[in-house]
Formats: sequence, structure tokens, C-alpha cells
Amino acid sequence: MEMDKMGVVTTFLHNIVVYNIPLLYGTTGEIIVEKSGSLNLGVEGIMAVGAIFGYIVGCYANSLGVGILTSFVAGALCGLLFAMLTVSLQANQNITGLTLTTFGLGVYFFVGNGVKAVNWPAMADYANIKNGFADIALPGLSQIPLLGRGLFSHNILVYLGVVIALGMWWYLNRTQTGLRLRAVGENPAAADSVGINVKRYQYLHICLGCGIMGIGGYYMALNMSGSFNSSCWINGYGWIAVALVIFANWNPALAIVGTFVFGFFNTLRVSGSSLALAFPEGLGWLSSVPTQLYQALPFLITAVVLVISSIRKKKDGGQPASLGLNYFREER
Amino acid sequence: MSIHVVKRDSLSFGKKVLIYLGAVATALILGGLLLLAMGVDPVAYYSRMFTMGMIGNKIAYKAAENYLKIFVPLVVTSVALSLAFKMRFWNIGGEGQFILGAVAAATVAFQLGPILPQPVTLLLMCLAGMLCAGLYGVMVAALKVKFGTSETLLTLMLNYVALYFITFLGETQAAWNFYLDEESVRPIFANFSKIVSFPSIPIGKFGLNVCVIFAVLIGILIYVYLKYTKQGYEIAVVGDSPGTAHYAGMKVNRIILRTVFLSACLIGLAAAFKVGTVGILSTTVTDDVGWTGIIVAWLAQLNTIAIFVISALIGVLQYGSTAAAATFAQVDSSFADMLQGAILFLVLAADFFIRFRVVFAKKGGVTNGNG
Repeated sequence: MEMDKMGVVTTFLHNIVVYNIPLLYGTTGEIIVEKSGSLNLGVEGIMAVGAIFGYIVGCYANSLGVGILTSFVAGALCGLLFAMLTVSLQANQNITGLTLTTFGLGVYFFVGNGVKAVNWPAMADYANIKNGFADIALPGLSQIPLLGRGLFSHNILVYLGVVIALGMWWYLNRTQTGLRLRAVGENPAAADSVGINVKRYQYLHICLGCGIMGIGGYYMALNMSGSFNSSCWINGYGWIAVALVIFANWNPALAIVGTFVFGFFNTLRVSGSSLALAFPEGLGWLSSVPTQLYQALPFLITAVVLVISSIRKKKDGGQPASLGLNYFREER
Repeated sequence: MSIHVVKRDSLSFGKKVLIYLGAVATALILGGLLLLAMGVDPVAYYSRMFTMGMIGNKIAYKAAENYLKIFVPLVVTSVALSLAFKMRFWNIGGEGQFILGAVAAATVAFQLGPILPQPVTLLLMCLAGMLCAGLYGVMVAALKVKFGTSETLLTLMLNYVALYFITFLGETQAAWNFYLDEESVRPIFANFSKIVSFPSIPIGKFGLNVCVIFAVLIGILIYVYLKYTKQGYEIAVVGDSPGTAHYAGMKVNRIILRTVFLSACLIGLAAAFKVGTVGILSTTVTDDVGWTGIIVAWLAQLNTIAIFVISALIGVLQYGSTAAAATFAQVDSSFADMLQGAILFLVLAADFFIRFRVVFAKKGGVTNGNG
């Protein structure tokens, strides 16, 4: 039997990118939030809110751009809620974040299942959305054999996600406001004493980060391309993003690599058997690995990374020193 | 003019309760407005929800039994989590500990159930569930005290490791996998309720499951433990200030390990109650109690008595919304999740005004913040 072995590899690479870029959005967003000193465990819920509103508004407007903007605003509003409660009202971050997940998933299902009189639109029926989400081959790069079509022929949101991640890396490391933001996450009292408006930095960046997560949620909806159905589009990706932040050592550029690594396992779960079929001698064993192991691997790896980095007590680790602690000015 | 926020001395108990009730009422009103916008009568919906559809229902006792099946795992898990939270140990791994406890208890049921007398099997199920869950939890505590590993993030990761472990058991057909139903072509978990299950005490038509009694007993024991024993006192001191505890000669690390082990053990026990009652494993065996329990414990401010009240209410919310969905088809049962979220958000906001006072001061004016 003659098989297009190269084709299998290319499709595999292509799938790694297509199905896992939402992780990059979630992770980049969460890194921005955590760099301001806030641990937001609401990623899953925020992505769900971004998904449902981006989907509905995007379809009714028949515009991908409107959908993206709506999902960003919906996510940012969740961030605003989180910031009001934790920054201004000093509420516990873990509790607020977890509640945001419950609440966000509640909103997702309530809106999706609840309004039963309405027939939800199918995204594939809207020409502007369908065409807007079509693959765009990068000239030159996409011609590289084997890798080209796998890595450099994707929809606009893939490129946008990578650009946002690289942009955020640049922002955090090369701009004054970015450096100040990191100071806020490390030691808010010290940042406050040199005249940085800590609250404003926290509010802005929590909203920005959550907005980026919202776009990630919309991407997941677009990937399904159909209409709302009662299973959740987000399906745990928000939690993987929380893990990926640690794996990427709070670095948005490394998050791109991390997305590829976690995405690799994710894709093995789905198409490991086609690899095994194409390369029976070398990769035949892949078909005997339980798929649940691939699903657990991102979390297992992150757990190991967490333990090892705490044993080594890395001084140059990317984790903000004040992560998870509220800053109460009067208590300095 | 500048605005200051200062800590206030404690409010009276009555005032606190009033503020919290106000927050809950606000959430209900917001939910009611949403219902109104959808063309649903909020009063009719809420009365259906809060009575859980039991009024005028011939099989109301069944509804009560099913409600208690939701209540017991939730209340035991919440009480368990409150132990760890009191020490500011962020055990958000309740889901994972519950799953391992459930698998351990089911293992005993399948393997020993057919040969041992029922009470012995049930006891062993509880012990196995407690041990497995306890070890899963204390492992994190050990890493925390030894290396300072973040327990929040690590327990979070371990939840998913456990989830995919039980998914693996549920989806893998093999000769060794005694958890699955042998007669089914598709992989589904086997039911062991014919082998062993917690008995019910009949009161008229209503059957009171013994786990309800155990849950109440656990609540009383933990209340006494926290309030009147030396170990309970140690937990409070470590939670307030580990430095003070250390200075007072307490072995802080040992207290943390012991308490987290106890916390996780109780979650395993909740899991044993659950599988011992329903008689079957499932990948959704936790019913999210590991998550909801965190919210309950926090809403109750880690007070054991309040945990019972709040668990009962959250149970009503969850069970009632399902019951109400039968009458009001256009309102999805996820309304309960939204309402639960809104209640907690408003309580968290109200909390601020209980802990702090907002002071308006003229610029340059003298204020020491205590008025």
C-alpha cells in the first residue's frame, strides 16, 4: 500500500498549530495578568464567555473582525469584574477566579442552551466569517517542503496569536511600561513608592490579558465552524493554559514553544494512529499508548516543572514574587 | 478630598448577617430581572426552584432522597477543605482527591465486596478512599513544606491527572479492567450496587441514607476538633501567623502535614459515601464538589455550622434549578451556576464593606484612619 507519508507528517504539523493556538491566546493573556501580580484561575470561564459572544455577535454582523472585537471586549469585561473584586475590594484571588470559571461556564450554557426559541446560526453559512477564517499561505515560507504547508499556511487568527505573543514579549522586556508592570507584580509597595500607579497598572493589564483570553475562546468556536451545540467548546483548554504559563516560565515568547509542545501531545491523541499507520516500524507503538496519557501529559509535565523549579529555588525564575497576593496600600 | 480605606473593628454578628443577606437578595433580584427579560415569571420560577418541585408532588420523598445525595458529598468535602483553608493551605485539589478516593472505594467494593460481609466492606471502602485521597493530598503538603512548591498550582494540576486516570479506567477494555461492565460492548462502568451499598433507614416512604447521619456526625466532630482541641487551636495559630506559631514552639510543618492529610482523607471519605450510595463509578463522579466546596467553604467563612447551611442552600440551587427546568423549559439549568457565581461575587464585594471602612478626608487634613 502506497501512502503519502510526507502528507501525513505535514497534516500532523498543521493540526498541531490549528487546534492548539487557543492555548497560546489563553497563556499569553494569563501571563499578562500574572505579571501584574494576580493569579486568575478564571481562564476557562473567560474563554467560554469570549467564545459564545464572539460567535453570536460575529455571525449576526457577518464579520470576523466584529466577532474578534466582541470576544475581546467580553473577556475584558470579565477581567474588569475580577479587577474590581480583587484589586479594589481586596477579595481573595483564588476564590474570585474559580467563581469566574463557574460563572463564565454558566453564562456560556445559559446563553447557548437557554434561548431555545432562537435557532443559532451556523458559522459556515456566513461567507465573511468562513472566508475570513480561511488559510492564508505565507509567500515563500509556505513553499518549504514538508514544513511549509504545515507551519506557514494558516488562518489569520494563528498569525495574530503569534504576533500578540511576540508583541507582549517585547512589551514586557523592552518598554518602560512593561518593565513597570513587572515591578508591580514583583513588589507593588516598592513600585508604589516610586510613583507608579499600581491600581491603574493592575486594572489595565488584567483587562488586557482577559481580553486576549476571550479571543482564544472565539478561536475555539471558529474551529468548530458549526453552530452551538450543548458540549463545551472550551473543554479544559483554559486550565491547560494556566499550566502552560508555568511551563513557559511566564515568558510569552516561550509560550509559543510551549503551545507547540503541549499541542504535540494533544495532536498525538487525535492523530497518533495515522502516524502509526504511516510509519509502522518506527512509530507503530504509538497506537498502543492510551489516549488519556496524552491528555494528562500537559498537567503531569507542569507538575514536574513546578516541583523541580521549587527544589532548585531558581532566582531567575519568571514567577512574579507577589503572585496571588493582594496589595493593600494602608498595610505597608 | 481623598478617599482612604481603613480596616474596621469587627461588626456585630447581626449586622454581618444582614449585609450578606442583602448581597444574596441582590443576586436573586438580578437573576429575577434576567428571568423577567426572558418572559418568565421570576416569583413562579424561584418558588419552583426553592421548593425543588416538591410541593404537590406525589413522589416528593424521592426528590428529598435525591437532594440528599447531592448534599452529603458537598458538605463533607466543604468541611474537609475548610480545614486546609484555615491554615491558608490552598487545597484546590478536591476534585483529584475525590476521584482517587472514589476509585479506591470502588476497588474494595469489586474485589472484597463479594467475599466479605457488607458492613466490613463498607468500612474498608471508607478507609481505602480516605487513605488514597489522603496520600494524594499530603504529597503536595510535603513538597510545600520541604521546597515551598506552590500548592495552589500543584493541586490544580493533580486534579487533571486524576481525571484522566479515571477516564482511562472508564474507556479501556481489557482483561484486567474489572471496573467495566463485562456484558457491554461499549466500555461503561459496572454497577456494584447489588454487591454492596450504604443502607437507608425507612421513615415512612422516605429512606434516610446512613451517610446523611455520618455527614452530620463528621460536622459535629470537626466543629469540636477546631474549637476545643489543642490541634484545632494549633491550626488557627498557624493560619493567623506561621511566625507566631513557630515562636510559640509549635512544629509548624508537622501541623501542616497532619491537617492537609486529614483534609484530603475526609474528601476521600466523601467520595466513598458517594460511590457507596450510587453504586457506580463515573468520570463525573465528583459532581464538581471539589470546586463548589471551595466556594461553599469561603462563603461560610470556614465556619463549620455555616458550611452546613450554605451547602444545603447551594444544593437547593443546583437540584432546584434542574427541577424547575422541567416546568420552565426555556430556562436552562445552568441558571444555577450563574446565580451561584453572582451570589459569590456580591458576597465578596459585601465582604469588603465588612472588613473595611471608606473614609473621606480633606487633603492635608489630619486623620489617623481610625476616626
